[in-house]
Amino acid sequence: MTKRNLKRPEVLAPAGTLEKLKTAIHYGADAVYIGGDAYGLRSRAGNFSFEEMEEGVAFAKQYGAKVYVAANMVTHEGNEKGAGDFFKKLRDIGISAVIVSDPALIEICATEAPGLEIHLSTQASATNAETLKFWQNEGLERVVLAREVSMEELAEIRRNTDIQIEAFIHGAMCISYSGRCTLSNHMSMRDANRGGCSQSCRWKYDLFDMPFAQEHRSLTENGDVTEEFSMSAVDMTMIEHIPDLIENGVDSLKIEGRMKSIHYVSTVANVYKAAVDSYIADPDNYVCKQEWIDELWKAAQRELATGFYYNVPTENEQLFGPRRKIPVYKFIGEVLSYDETTGIATVRQRNHFSVGDEIEFYGPNFHHFEQTITEMKNDEGESIDRAPNPMMILTLPVAQPVKPGDMIRKKKD
Amino acid sequence: MIEVIATAESMAQAEELLAAGVDTLYIGEEEYGLRLPHSFTRTEQKQLIESAHAKGKKVNIAVNGIMHPDKMKKIPEYLDFLAEVKPDNIVVGDTGVIFLLQNYDLSYIYDAETLVTNARQINFWHKKGAVGAVLAREVPFEEMKTLKQHVEVPTEVLVYGATCIHQSKRPLLNNYFNYTKQTEESSKDRGLFISEPKKAETHYSIYEDQHGTHIFADNDVNLINEVDELAQTGYQTWKLDGLFTPGNQFVEVAKAFISAKLALETGTWDEKAQLAAQQLIQKNHPVERGMDTGFYHLDPNAIK
Repeated sequence: MTKRNLKRPEVLAPAGTLEKLKTAIHYGADAVYIGGDAYGLRSRAGNFSFEEMEEGVAFAKQYGAKVYVAANMVTHEGNEKGAGDFFKKLRDIGISAVIVSDPALIEICATEAPGLEIHLSTQASATNAETLKFWQNEGLERVVLAREVSMEELAEIRRNTDIQIEAFIHGAMCISYSGRCTLSNHMSMRDANRGGCSQSCRWKYDLFDMPFAQEHRSLTENGDVTEEFSMSAVDMTMIEHIPDLIENGVDSLKIEGRMKSIHYVSTVANVYKAAVDSYIADPDNYVCKQEWIDELWKAAQRELATGFYYNVPTENEQLFGPRRKIPVYKFIGEVLSYDETTGIATVRQRNHFSVGDEIEFYGPNFHHFEQTITEMKNDEGESIDRAPNPMMILTLPVAQPVKPGDMIRKKKD
Repeated sequence: MIEVIATAESMAQAEELLAAGVDTLYIGEEEYGLRLPHSFTRTEQKQLIESAHAKGKKVNIAVNGIMHPDKMKKIPEYLDFLAEVKPDNIVVGDTGVIFLLQNYDLSYIYDAETLVTNARQINFWHKKGAVGAVLAREVPFEEMKTLKQHVEVPTEVLVYGATCIHQSKRPLLNNYFNYTKQTEESSKDRGLFISEPKKAETHYSIYEDQHGTHIFADNDVNLINEVDELAQTGYQTWKLDGLFTPGNQFVEVAKAFISAKLALETGTWDEKAQLAAQQLIQKNHPVERGMDTGFYHLDPNAIK
């Protein structure tokens, strides 16, 4: 076996809150991206105060992980006010990079907060090597490619550039070129490029023509067609193509989802970390494990496909018709401590469960097992059948050793 | 001096537009330009540039597509051609094309559609050689006033025509037709619209071409009653987009705006002139398409 000198790409996970940041890193993310109180695209995602960022950065440091801040809004007049101080503060806190698409913000960051790395956001729709060269000349460290770039194009862009490339590998996708959609502005008075996207693309529309002046003639009118027009993309997963991404020199594998749960973040970071480690350790004997794929489906909200990497998405990569039933798991608790001598775990409840339930424990490094709950006690030591109260602390005997931070999930009925 | 820029759908219409008083033609070919009424051949582009220049008029060429590597490979050949036939400006939205323009003697106007919303963005591209920019349609007049105070280059405003509000690389109509097993056309000529759920009266144009799927705002923009204010605020580069307004109808609409330009320049733009221009536009605007002032009068705070 010839030893190849493969570069290990970073697994970059979303972190909508401090708790998610810690979870993502604990579960193997090499870097996380978060939002600040301003300049981001997820006004409704939990955004970080400077104090929370400091705590997040300190936590990340213990793991050698990085924290990036997404400041990817497309500013209107006045929105850029204070951005210089904001970027300086991020730099001083120890944020590793900011993810920006607006050239006004890029310029402010470069001039007022030198030393803070800038990554070009996917909102700028970078689809060719020349764009990467332009931004490299401007001093940017990394470009996040448009999700419309195919694997073949990515390979070509990589061959012709040497700036870092970040590519989306998992999560929900815009159906448009990111940044080039203002459906939400026009339909909901919410600015898609300033954090207000109302996901109008996922609505159902009537499709019609107007052959007779202003009279609408619906294409579904004759009754044969019942499905309405919509533009709802399935989500992305590249779990089966990790070798392609690594061999083509992608520097950072990005997971979407700052709005998603810690169940999602822990599951997805865990899987991609395992896959990347496995390939880097022994590329010649690498196999994509079915258990990784199964695991991702447990945290999936929609069907999964490979976006634009291998073909222009067809109707099969859009949500039409009755949905295939995705086995839905719910996150029910997290392990706080474990007593080796008694085999009893102390658990914080995150969703109700009962004695007799089939549950699944999972932890970093793909540690996994299933068991049935035989008994539980509340924090006063009283036996209970059900754990109905959010955040309640309880104990239960577990089939295998567990660690603080391990998670528990259960298949939804 | 106010500049009226207009698209063209044929050689004949282009000539009529110039004769009607349009200052600048905005044309191009489908391969590189976005959402154009017509794809002109190289010979036609050259002829129109020569013809316009002979009349003291200008031609801007649309090179504003989002370029994937295959197109980037082909584009130097087109830029070579353009450098030779010398349009007055090319209109560019892809940063990769701007990177290539370092090697060309071609002046460019920055047009990244929805992404041009702040004077500092435009000034950034000005530092990278842009001689002008096209303002996003989602900028209300209140913000335009502030923008004007800071911007260093002329900024084009769409005063008439359709507003693109969505570009997907996916064939969204064909994907749908494949799912529903309908045999349908998806091109612009098919004249398809979508309406929002619970808003049956809305009619967003939708079509596909080689750049993907395009969706347009419910109503086309008509700022004839606002041009006075625009001119006074320093917005003197007006674009008319005839994508959905065919033939002579578009020429007549252009005449209305040209009459406004001339009247404003001579101080004769009064209520009567405004009413006549508005009536001319209404008469020639396609009956199935609405008109409004877009985001112009919106309170910036109304947009969340």
